[in-house]
Amino acid sequence: MLEIKNLHVRLADEKREIIKGLNLSVKGGEVHAIMGPNGSGKSTLSYVLSGREGYEVTEGSISFKGEDLLAMEADKRAAAGVFLAFQYPIEIPGVATMQFLKVAANAQRKARGEKEYTIPEFMKHVKANAEKLNISQDMLKRPVNVGFSGGEKKRAEILQMAVLEPSLCVLDETDSGLDIDALRVVADGVNALRSPDRAMIVITHYQRLLDYIVPDFVHVLSDGAIIKTGGKELALELEANGYADIVGQAA
Amino acid sequence: MIAPQTAAEQALGLSLPSRRDEAWKWTDLKRLLDRAYDTGAVQWVAKDVVRLIASAPLAALNVQRIVVVNGVLQSAPKGMMVSDVAPAIVHDDPLLTLNAKLKAKVISLAFEGNVDQPVEVLHVTTGQGVAVASRLHIAVAAGASATVIETFVGEGEYLNNPVTTVDVAKGARLDRVKIETESARAQHLSQVIVTLAADAILNDFTLTSGAVLNRQNGVVEYHGENASAKVSGSYLLRGAQHADTALIIDHKVPNCMSRELFKCVMDEKSRGIFQGKVIVARNAQKIDGKQSSHALLLSETAEFDAKPELEIYADDVVCGHGTTCGDLNHDHLFYLKSRGIPEAEARAILVEAFVAEAIETVENEAVRDALMVLLHARMVS
Repeated sequence: MLEIKNLHVRLADEKREIIKGLNLSVKGGEVHAIMGPNGSGKSTLSYVLSGREGYEVTEGSISFKGEDLLAMEADKRAAAGVFLAFQYPIEIPGVATMQFLKVAANAQRKARGEKEYTIPEFMKHVKANAEKLNISQDMLKRPVNVGFSGGEKKRAEILQMAVLEPSLCVLDETDSGLDIDALRVVADGVNALRSPDRAMIVITHYQRLLDYIVPDFVHVLSDGAIIKTGGKELALELEANGYADIVGQAA
Repeated sequence: MIAPQTAAEQALGLSLPSRRDEAWKWTDLKRLLDRAYDTGAVQWVAKDVVRLIASAPLAALNVQRIVVVNGVLQSAPKGMMVSDVAPAIVHDDPLLTLNAKLKAKVISLAFEGNVDQPVEVLHVTTGQGVAVASRLHIAVAAGASATVIETFVGEGEYLNNPVTTVDVAKGARLDRVKIETESARAQHLSQVIVTLAADAILNDFTLTSGAVLNRQNGVVEYHGENASAKVSGSYLLRGAQHADTALIIDHKVPNCMSRELFKCVMDEKSRGIFQGKVIVARNAQKIDGKQSSHALLLSETAEFDAKPELEIYADDVVCGHGTTCGDLNHDHLFYLKSRGIPEAEARAILVEAFVAEAIETVENEAVRDALMVLLHARMVS
């Protein structure tokens, strides 16, 4: 589904290289965890995948379902099936959450040449998912993320993911700022979306999230490249010994 | 040295203010009114007027409609108190002089009791090189309430000079909405003067989006205590449009409230100006006055100028003003795009959300919804 080959990325206005020759291959149904110390390039990877401006790819390629992902605008990537759950979801005053979800879902359907949702169909679709995530009707009427608590914002991200039904979910530090109960709700929401034709990249600093969202592969990202790959036990090893060991071995 | 009279000044019969006059420094009428306007009675083609009425922004709304064509009253619903008598205006302003020179005819509306159904005064103007004027008076009797919408539509190249006077009596309430959707080649020069008695309420909103040149002068005078006024507006400008609002909130008596909120959107080479003056007289204690104007510039060449002025002579008041100016938030744009919303649609959503804050001050739900529809249509056109 996703092939990242020898990816080099720098900040457009700083010329400092953040990602230095990253390779990653993700197949449908797989869950890949990307762990690494602060500043290793985790968030940059999520932004490059989702098409945020300000990052310059100087070398390498990303192919998604056989297409050149880097040639697509952010909205086209979303329509093609890429979804980023933000580490810090953006507040958008004046735009009601429900309205936003509907416009986004129908824009994607339109871009894919599919029939747009009718209002009753869509309400039903959102309601079913919102209930699972403990999201009230009141929250859906409020402006996108405005006045939401940290936990509410993360649940709202997962709701968007559930409603938009992407084929590649990128979760950027979805566990940050969550207490254990909120983490469980979010993880249950993510697990419910696991399916053979949907892949996930879970970016996290801590092993804790991976107790709930169990990955097939764990990659250690350090200084812009993947320096070690293993199974879920690698996360436990990292938790016990810290990143220093592995980073030291690779150097 | 007195500058020589321009062709417009000769035709209109007055001297026009220029950039040397502080209040007109951004809108130099001496330069901008550039032709010998035809000031005679203006003829119109009936089918053009019918078409303009049918396509007016509130055409589908259930309102009591008064139609005014080229400044002349055409029809008013049965049972409405309409006359041609209004109190003399004591204020002095070049736009009032112009209104007198153009021999504007008075249309006077009186409201008693609670009038639920909105009344729309639909101004239709057509012509080439003509100058037309109108004079509307709205009187809301003590304890009464009404909603009046002044809508402007037109076709051709004309100068329109509507003057509105409003008298809100003790304990009365007026919700006033103005929709300026004139012809794209029109020059719209308006003045509104509101007098508030004790316990009176004014809730006023103006959408400015049609004319190439727009100057709107407004005065709200407090004559009785515990009166309050909310004056809001929004500009939707593009091309070479120029809109300048000069608003004076005049607190002559104590214990009153004023709120001003303007959300202005400028695209391409358009220019928006907001001049807001709040005056608090020496004895007018306990005034609560707030003014804010916010601008969204959608292009590198668009411009916004704000001139807030507080003239406060009392010592126990809470008055403040704030102005912001910027382009669309890039994080907001990226968030919307990352969910699959294309750039143009994402921009429209954010602009609409920005403007909605001002539109939400409109009390009547049907009118508010119609304004949102109008805004959306403008964004996607």
